Amino acid sequence: MTATSHDVVIVGGGVAGSLIAKRLSHAGLKVLMLEAGPESTRSFADYNAHLDRFYAASAKGAESPWPPAVGAPQPDGGDIGTGKGYFVQRGPNQYGSTYTRTLGGSTLHWLGVSLRMLPEDFELQTRCGVGLDWPIGYSTLSPYYDQAEHEMGVSADVAQQQYHGLSFTPGYDYPMRHIPQSYSDRVLAAAVDGTRIALGDTSVAVRVRPYPAARNSIPRHSYQPRGAIDLDRRGNPYLLTIGERCEGNTACTPICPVQAKYHAGKTLVEADWRHLELRTRAVASRVLVDPASGEVQGIRYQRYERPDAPNFVEQTATGRYYVLAAHAVENARLLLASDLPGRSGLVGRHLMDHPALYAWGRSPLAVGPFRGPQSSSGIEEFRAGAFRAQHAAFRFDIGNDGWRATTGAPDTTVAQAVLQQGLIGQSLRHRLREQLGNQVRFSLAVEQLADATNRVSIDPAYRDAFGNPRPVIDYRITDYTLAGMAAALQVARQIFARAGITDCTGQDELSFPTVNYQGRNFAYHGMGHFAGTHLMGADPRQSVVDSHQRSWDHRNLYLAGAGSFPSMGTSNPTLTLAALALRIADDLIAQFPNAAGAAAQCGGL
Amino acid sequence: MVDDQRFQTFLELSEAITGFGRVRLLGTGQAELYFATAERVVGHAIMDELLTAFADLPTRTPELLRLHLFGNEMLGDVVRNLVKLWFGGVWYQLPAIWQQAYGPAAEDGTFIPSPDAYVEGLMWVAIGAHPAGAKAPGFASWAVAPQIPLS
Repeated sequence: MTATSHDVVIVGGGVAGSLIAKRLSHAGLKVLMLEAGPESTRSFADYNAHLDRFYAASAKGAESPWPPAVGAPQPDGGDIGTGKGYFVQRGPNQYGSTYTRTLGGSTLHWLGVSLRMLPEDFELQTRCGVGLDWPIGYSTLSPYYDQAEHEMGVSADVAQQQYHGLSFTPGYDYPMRHIPQSYSDRVLAAAVDGTRIALGDTSVAVRVRPYPAARNSIPRHSYQPRGAIDLDRRGNPYLLTIGERCEGNTACTPICPVQAKYHAGKTLVEADWRHLELRTRAVASRVLVDPASGEVQGIRYQRYERPDAPNFVEQTATGRYYVLAAHAVENARLLLASDLPGRSGLVGRHLMDHPALYAWGRSPLAVGPFRGPQSSSGIEEFRAGAFRAQHAAFRFDIGNDGWRATTGAPDTTVAQAVLQQGLIGQSLRHRLREQLGNQVRFSLAVEQLADATNRVSIDPAYRDAFGNPRPVIDYRITDYTLAGMAAALQVARQIFARAGITDCTGQDELSFPTVNYQGRNFAYHGMGHFAGTHLMGADPRQSVVDSHQRSWDHRNLYLAGAGSFPSMGTSNPTLTLAALALRIADDLIAQFPNAAGAAAQCGGL
Repeated sequence: MVDDQRFQTFLELSEAITGFGRVRLLGTGQAELYFATAERVVGHAIMDELLTAFADLPTRTPELLRLHLFGNEMLGDVVRNLVKLWFGGVWYQLPAIWQQAYGPAAEDGTFIPSPDAYVEGLMWVAIGAHPAGAKAPGFASWAVAPQIPLS
């Protein structure tokens, strides 16, 4: 096969890569997208086969609908703590998160939480003396947040989101109204809204608040929600009407059956396909660099036909500019596998997550769990404050699916009632109503700072089926985060007490990794919020990319994604990385003075 | 629909152990599959014993069901599995001790008989909810208290 040159080669068909591809293609740039995984999310029928796979799975974890190809392995929740799987975990703590290597990336299984980072999150070092500052601030990113919220379809009301200094463009509002709060949220809100909760020597009035979610709700003005996607007979992508509104499937993670929740495939549908070439089942294996100039000359990749076979052929993609948008771990792994650790030596370092705890209990009133999106509200008051000089910030996600994540309810509840209590018939049904109807669950996601010793590296001893090095993870949760965990649990306890909720935290708990702090064991889980593996900064000696995510060492290379974050605050990273991706696209278009003409030029080559 | 006597007895047994009526059970579309699944795993003879024991009960009270079915060493594990199958859509592997005494049941293991079995789990109906990922009740339905069906 002959190599065709493109204006821009993008590695990775997740949210960042898709947003960039869409924007560049509409500017007329000739774009090639390489995606390691299969394209089985493009047609409605294939997507539904993933749904059936989820139904039939005994363990319904985040990856259960999305099996990896042999040549594009991925971490799996079931492997954590077993010493098996794609990650080589060197500890001392287990990294608890996973991601998906299929076209669409982890947006296929994400929850959809689309919080902006707070203005103070960008200046943590300056304001609180901890962590790292960003080279750009909230005001630089704010217009890109506006755009990302419209590209992805985020539901929220500005009037409810102006807290902790978050400001919005005058006249701006989200494209859709906020997702209705669940009955469970409303019962909790009635009990605790406005109550003051102590934290250290201060107290804060809390509120059960809807959070911005990339799930379709009632549109504002002329906004057209994007539902499910499909391919027509000629293989052209288009949008279906199904999924234009969230239906309450309670399965955002791991698969929204109607695609009412955003996934990157929707963005790809809206690309200008005259200028975009998508090559799936193409595993990038090496970034080829001109040793003299440092410029990237091509991307070597391994093309496979069958996802279940270890066979591939090697090919090279070339372009004028390159974007790695393969995931925080995969970007770092690919650079390291290409012998490109960066002059700063920081590629792969500063790996972060939001290690999170669960708190669960029984409400005094029936709350009707296991309905609605998996969550619809949060408690945001502890995301900011002077306490961040001492310990991590945190936010609460208030679940709508009972104790599913913590104890395995309702399946385990049925098993207990049948096997231990010997219940059958009406008494079993009564028992289930009683046991399941009042379950409440908080997820307490705790901030983690950039720490150079937390890292992704490679080791020639550990390779995958295609011979590519597997990610080796060194990970430690430091006292700053652990003290935040302790504070978060204390807040959860106070809220439970105010609401009359019986605290059941720890009872019948599923298996989670634990971390010890001052004699206490915290069972924690990952939030899937990988960040920090190719830091953005103002100084090439202390960062991997500049504020446009352009590599200091390779000026025709951009590294997209949460890997660029110097800090993450308490926001789920997707919206911020999406905003940053759109900023990359604008920067790239600026490199082509005649963007609209560039495609014609290249087309004639 | 299978209308032989054994299947009818299986349905009556299922009504008694789940607390759900025939319309609801047939409405899952899984009744025949569950009957076939259980029979395939435990064998025709043990299924016959279970159906006969049930049919012979003078009344189908919970007490008699416990005494003669759930309290029976061989039948107890099978009928408990049927309850879990109806409620959760999963056939759970029978205890090792059952296998030793009454096996081998070559096709035993923990599995979901069909993707729809998960979707049709009665535990969701029992609490006025729906299976995660299916039978969504519609936009904003989650903002009001659940309706728990009685039948």
